[in-house]
Parts: sequence; structure tokens; C-alpha cells
Amino acid sequence: MKEGALIHKKICMLGGFAVGKTSLVKRFVTGQFSEKYQTTIGVKIDQKSQKVDETDMVLVLWDVYGEDDFQKVRASYLQGSAGYLLVVDGTRKETVDVAGQLKALAIQTMGSVPYVLLINKSDLRDSWQVESKLYEDLARNACLVLETSAKTGEGVELAFAELAKQMLKA
Amino acid sequence: MALPSRPSLPKSSSEISHEDSKGFSSLRRLLLAPEQTELERLKDRLEDFRLQPQDVGRVLPDAIRLRAQQDSRLLASMIPITQEALSLSIKQSPQLISDSIAPILGPAIRKAITRAMRGMVQSLNQTLEYSMSLKGLQWRWEAFRTGKSFAEVVLLHTLRFRVEQVFLIHKKTGLLLNHVVAEGISGQGEEVISGMLTAIQDFVRDSFGQKQDDGLESLRIGDLTVWIEQGSGAILAGVIRGAPPMELREVFQETLETVQAQFSELLQSFKGDVTAFEETRFPLEDCLQAQFEKKSQGLPLVFWILLGLLLLGMGIWAVQARSDQQRWAQLLERVGREPGLVVTSVQDQGSQSVFYGLRDPLAINPNEILSEFGYTSKQAIFRLNPFMDLTPEFILKRAMLQLRPPSSVAMSWEGTNLVLTGEAPHSWIQQAQLIGPIIPGVTHIQMKQLVDTDLKQFETLKAKLEGETISFEVGNSILGEEQRSALLSISETINAIDQLALLLGIAPHVQVQGFASPEGRKEVNLHLSLLRARGVLNELALGSFRAASIEAVGMGPAFVDEALPPNGIEDSRGRQVGFRVVVGEDRVSERL
Repeated sequence: MKEGALIHKKICMLGGFAVGKTSLVKRFVTGQFSEKYQTTIGVKIDQKSQKVDETDMVLVLWDVYGEDDFQKVRASYLQGSAGYLLVVDGTRKETVDVAGQLKALAIQTMGSVPYVLLINKSDLRDSWQVESKLYEDLARNACLVLETSAKTGEGVELAFAELAKQMLKA
Repeated sequence: MALPSRPSLPKSSSEISHEDSKGFSSLRRLLLAPEQTELERLKDRLEDFRLQPQDVGRVLPDAIRLRAQQDSRLLASMIPITQEALSLSIKQSPQLISDSIAPILGPAIRKAITRAMRGMVQSLNQTLEYSMSLKGLQWRWEAFRTGKSFAEVVLLHTLRFRVEQVFLIHKKTGLLLNHVVAEGISGQGEEVISGMLTAIQDFVRDSFGQKQDDGLESLRIGDLTVWIEQGSGAILAGVIRGAPPMELREVFQETLETVQAQFSELLQSFKGDVTAFEETRFPLEDCLQAQFEKKSQGLPLVFWILLGLLLLGMGIWAVQARSDQQRWAQLLERVGREPGLVVTSVQDQGSQSVFYGLRDPLAINPNEILSEFGYTSKQAIFRLNPFMDLTPEFILKRAMLQLRPPSSVAMSWEGTNLVLTGEAPHSWIQQAQLIGPIIPGVTHIQMKQLVDTDLKQFETLKAKLEGETISFEVGNSILGEEQRSALLSISETINAIDQLALLLGIAPHVQVQGFASPEGRKEVNLHLSLLRARGVLNELALGSFRAASIEAVGMGPAFVDEALPPNGIEDSRGRQVGFRVVVGEDRVSERL
């Protein structure tokens, strides 16, 4: 990497409805735009400057609307992403399946790019329904699998830092 | 290439004679000369394994290109060498480097300076134009009310359009490649805006099922318009305030085409490094255009106020100057008209005017004239020599001063005469007669109409006395009580006549004339009349006469002639005493 370079990378937050993507982004950045964008056009964008191995990076986070029965993730929003965070709600096992579909969409749209699998809501571990077996497939090519909590902040910084690092290497 | 099959050798090599060997070599050379040469060259190259420059030169460009495609190690290793080489080159031949970069730097610097100057001049123009105008004051109030800066309010009101921000966005990733803002605009979250613009485009495109190359061309939010130009590798978005002209579209398109042409490879291979796109700043800044409302045809209020003030000032100055001029002319006229003053010249000495000339001591103090016209001695002074003005006015003035006439006397000038009229005491008239002729300019004094009050009094008393009569009984010269009483008043009159005579310098003679009635004898009557006159004279209480004289005269029988008192009483005619005052005719007539 060139010395003094400023690297911009697009990251997508992918996951089912209400898995905590927006909360994770909030943990990571100080948001500038209202979340109503997500409900209008299905995405909200934030940015965060990050230094990875002496390289200055600007991470542009596309917080894509959580996929559910009523709204599909727009593939166009995923285009050009250098990596993504795949989020599963630890308390809802059905979100694993949604994550699987989104991963497939991501691969189809972005190709093979680094991603980090996040099992979110680790603060509610008592009511977890998701065991590691369930997400083995999801974790197979992930550069990191992390249990995170947007509430406590557990694993959030690490998740983004690792993804940034992997994106630089890619 | 297939080689021709070798012919079978008839003999072993050891059996070959020298002659055969020579012939064989000749044959081989004839048959295999090109291949032989090539083999020898290859043999030489194999033996000398070192790289030949021409070989390296042949493959070097491709080798560099291929290696650079793999990773950046080659570039990294070339950086220090290139830097050192460049540094050395600059040291050794700075002119060469200077000449090389001048064509690039010159326009770039000019462009930057022009842009900065344009912004500065525009800002200055606007500030000047609107700072003092009525509109400017309204806008200041608006700025105060809304909390915006004055410059911002001016901008909003005068702007036709202004490109405030330009985004160069990587089409595939939506990442911001470069971003420029107009002066005074602060960019914020441009990376996010870039992403959102891309997202909105995607959203719209997806929603309406358009092709990938189609895209949103324009967004409008209140006074802001976002124009988006789609390229194959990049998107150019301009945020414009106001109503942009369509020509601006062309500018955006041309800029995007230029950028895409220059950076096509970088756009294709973009992996997030935006530093390489810093060079797009200049073309992008060319898009930061603005157009303001043309100045109104009318001139700003401040101009009219200043013009008004100027005209007012000039008017006041002109009026003042005119007034000063008139005042000065009036002063000159006044000084020229003033009796007893003769101005021969006026000279300006610095800020002071000096009047040279003559002045009669009886003339007005010229400084009073200066004060009258509002001038001070700093502005004008008089340097005048004394002289005697012989105009009638000054002759009269001088006569008044020297003669000090009583208020009952009026003096005038007729021809060459000093004419005195009215009435005055005898003593003053005598003095006037003496002094008058020596007053400069006076050659003759005319007093015909001047009444001598003392002489007039004398005549009055004289007439009064001559009207008095004392009557007697028939044949009698004795004075009764009534007559004696009347004689007291008559005595006073005679004494007063003496006093006036002394004042007038005359010596009147008072005759107490005794008369008798015509009856009887003449001698007796004459005697009786004398007795009667003497009796009255004796009875008069006279003071010591200093000028007049008095005598008793017996006139005998009374006659009707001029010697009788004018008021003679017929009844007592002849038996009475009367009075007559005789003044030297010459002297009296002289007075009258």
C-alpha cells in the first residue's frame, strides 16, 4: 500500500429484521442522518475514519434495511462493497436463515469479499436460541465470527477493525 | 526446422587427411553457412551468460508494466531512487526542471490566483455595493433577525446560481473520490452524502426498472438543485443554489469526460485509494461557478446620498462663496461710499486684505465698518493717512464741533455759505461770528435767519416800557398810590433793559416824558409836564445803570404826533407821563 494513502471502503451491514445492525453502527459511529432513510429508501449511510496498520481508512457503512417478509434487500445497495458484516440475532434462530440468504446475495453481488459474522445481542445470552452448529455454514468463509452486543459494546470495535484489516489485505 | 540429412561418412574421422579436412570444411561452409553462423552466435551467448543491455531494453517496459500489475513492490522500490534522481537532477540543472514544469505550474498558478482574486473581488464588490444601500440595510436587519451572516444574506438575495459543492463519486462503489466546495461553504459528511446520492440513484433506478446506465439526473430541494452526471466509471454531482443555466450541464459533462479520460485506468482498478484522485481538484473547481444578479441600472442609494451631500456641500460653498463675494463687494462699496474715507488700493497679503488710503479724523472708525460686515482685523485692516475732507458734510461736522451751537440753532450749507438758522443767545452769535470764518471750508456765515434772542428780548421790553403810562389829575403832578404801585413794575422793566443793553453792548437812552393837557397856558403846561416827569423819575427804583441812561423831559401839552405813546388814552391825554427808549440808530439797525 502506498505511503500516505487514504483508503475508502464501502461496508454493508446485512442481516434480518431487528437483528441490531443499526444499533451496532450507532455503537461504532456517531450517526449524522436520521434512521428514517432506512424506512424510505432502505438504507442509511454513515462513515467512520479508522486507522489500520498505519493506513488511514474511511469506512462508509451502508446500513441496509433488515430483510423480512415485506421488504427485500436491494442488491444494488450491495454493489461495490469491499466487505460486509453479517448479523444474526442470537435470540432468534430464524435470523440465521435470513443471514444465509443475504450471504448468498452478497456473494452474487459483490463476489468473494471479506465478511465478519456477528452473533448479536450477547447481553441476552440467557435467552439465546442460536448455537454454533446452526451457523456453521455461515461461518465457513468468514474472516471472523464474533459475539457482539450493541448494548454493551462487546466485540463491536473488533468486528469493524478486523473487517477493515481484511479488506485492506484483499 | 528440419535439417537436411547428413551424407554418410566414407572414412573415420581419424582417417581423414588434412586435405580432406580442409575440403570438408569448405563443403560444410558452403552447405551450412547460415546455420553455422547462428550456432556460433548462440555458442558465444551461452559462453558469455551476462545480460546484454539491448536485451534488457527490449523487455524492460513490459517487465515493469507486468510487475506493477502484480503489486506495488516495484513502485515502492523505485520511489527512493526516483526521488534521489529527481533531487540530484534539480541540484545539477535546476533550469531544466524549471523549464519542464513551467508549462504545468504556470497555468495552475494563474488559475488558482484568478480564482482567488475573482472570489475576493466579487465579495468586495458585493460588500461595497450593498453595505450602505437601503437594500443593504434591510438585509443587515434580516441577517440580525435570522442570525445569518450579512455575507450569506447578500449572497442569497443576489445569487442567480452558485455551485456550492461538487462530488466526484466512484460509480461502482458509491465512494467519494473527490469533493470541492465553494468559498464560504463548509462541507460536512460528504462521504455519507456521496453514498446517499448513490443509494438514492440505485433506489430510483431499481424502483422504476431502468437500465444501469440510466440514473437520476436532477434533484431539487427548495432552493437547492443537485445535478448528477453519469459517466461510465464515475458520477459527478453538483449541488447548486439558485437557478442554474443549461450551459452549466455542459460544463459538468465536459469535466466528467475529462476526468474519466485522464483517470480511466484508476477508475477501473479503484480499490479505495482516493489520494490519486486529488489531481481532479482543478477540473472539479472549474465547476464551482456562480452568477450574481446584474447590478441594477440605478445607482445605489449611497451614491445618491453622497452626490446629494456633495451637491449640498457645493451649493453651500457656492452660496457661501457668493455671499462672501457679495459681502466683500458691499464692504468695498460701503467703504467707498463712506464720507471722510478714501481707499486708494486694497492689497491681499496672505489671508489678510489691507486697505490703503486717507481718512478724515471726523470720519467713522473703519473697523466699525469691518465689524458691521462681519470681518475681523485678522481678515482685513486699514492703513490710512489723515486728511481733511472739505465736503459740506464734513464742513458742517467740523462747524458743529467747533461752534457747539445750542439746540435751537440749525446749520446748513448753501452754495459756499454756512447758513445758521433758528435763534441763539447774543453771546453765542458773537462767538460764531468770530470762529466761523476760520473753520476750514467756511468762507462766509449767513445769519440772516438767525434770531438774537437777547436783542429780541430787548425789543420786547422796550415796546413794553414805551406802552406804559402814568396818569395824573388835572393840574397836578402828585403821584397817587396807584401810580406808585405801577412804577414798581416799570422800574423792573427799565432795569432789565439796562441789563440787556449791557449784554448787547448798546447804550440806550430812556426818556421819562411828562405831558400836560392842552388846556391852559403853554408855559404852565410845559412846567407841569416836566414836574410830572421828574416826579415819576424820582419815584422809579432804578439800580445802578451800567449801560443805559435816563432823563426826565417835560414835553408840555400833548400833541398828536409820533412822540405820544402808541396807546395813549384819550381821557387822560396830556395829563400823563410816558417812556421812550432811544438806541443809537446805527447800532440797533446793525443788530436787526
